[in-house]
Amino acid sequence: MADDTEGSGGLDAGTETAALREALVAEHAAVWGYGVVGAALDEGARDPATEAETAHRDIRDQLTALLDDRDAEPVRAEGAYALPFPVLSAVDAARLAVVLEDGVAAAWVRVLDQAAERPARELAVGQLSAVERRAVAWRTTAGQTPVTSAFPGLPED
Amino acid sequence: MSPTALPVPQGFTRRTLLAASAAGLALLVAGCTEEPADPREQVTSEQADELAAQVAVQEALVAAFAAAGAADPALAAAVTAQAEQAQAQLDRLREASPGSSSATSSSASSSPAAPAGPEARAWLRSRVAEAAESHAAACLDQSGARAALLGSIAAGLRGQDGTLA
Repeated sequence: MADDTEGSGGLDAGTETAALREALVAEHAAVWGYGVVGAALDEGARDPATEAETAHRDIRDQLTALLDDRDAEPVRAEGAYALPFPVLSAVDAARLAVVLEDGVAAAWVRVLDQAAERPARELAVGQLSAVERRAVAWRTTAGQTPVTSAFPGLPED
Repeated sequence: MSPTALPVPQGFTRRTLLAASAAGLALLVAGCTEEPADPREQVTSEQADELAAQVAVQEALVAAFAAAGAADPALAAAVTAQAEQAQAQLDRLREASPGSSSATSSSASSSPAAPAGPEARAWLRSRVAEAAESHAAACLDQSGARAALLGSIAAGLRGQDGTLA
């Protein structure tokens, strides 16, 4: 069904599906990465990592089902991913969580940029907000300032 | 075989985002308001009106930061970064809004007086949440780079909302 948003020529189901597949790539990585984050935290401090991992698993499964409904081959998770830096402490873990959430945020912004249909934008803007809320908490834990971002997921100039 | 790199933001360059659209977010970054070559970056009159409305929403939010800071100097010091971010968001929205300019001064920039003392924080939080909700809703009726910008700003404000709790 065509979107009723005019002025979106050039955007179609193909661009939208491609962006959703990229979001799935980012969600796979986040699920894997939160395993590393949790492992680096003391048992009593793991709840935020567990909750974040669950959230990313849920949206990963939702994306997989959505792509399946579109007859688009879902992207499979890699067996492992290269960490951007060694994760040797709780602060490292929080820094990694920020990287994970920022990576996912970028993928959801791309969905907004490429979406042809309103439901995809609804999904993306909701996820982007959830991602940024988690990122704020992890930046706080990591001691990063500012803890908030003006433009989550948007590339730097 | 070496493991796949995490899709971290460093790998998500502006070039990547713009891969499918030469115009894309470059319009937002550069503040270009000329007729874009990419048809998906063309703005309908309804979308232009909605963008202008979101500029007014953001102007009101920037004014709310100033009012809350005046009512509670300690709060002003605590939210300096967030106030600067709100201003940066306003600047970017103005750049993306056809016909808008940095000199725009709308009646929306006059914000109701903030309550004095500790209540200023809760008052400001409400203004931030309202602006986030407005931008998120407006995002759904836009497309391309404009939808991306509004969605990103909405998310940024929802992050701010949490810090004001």
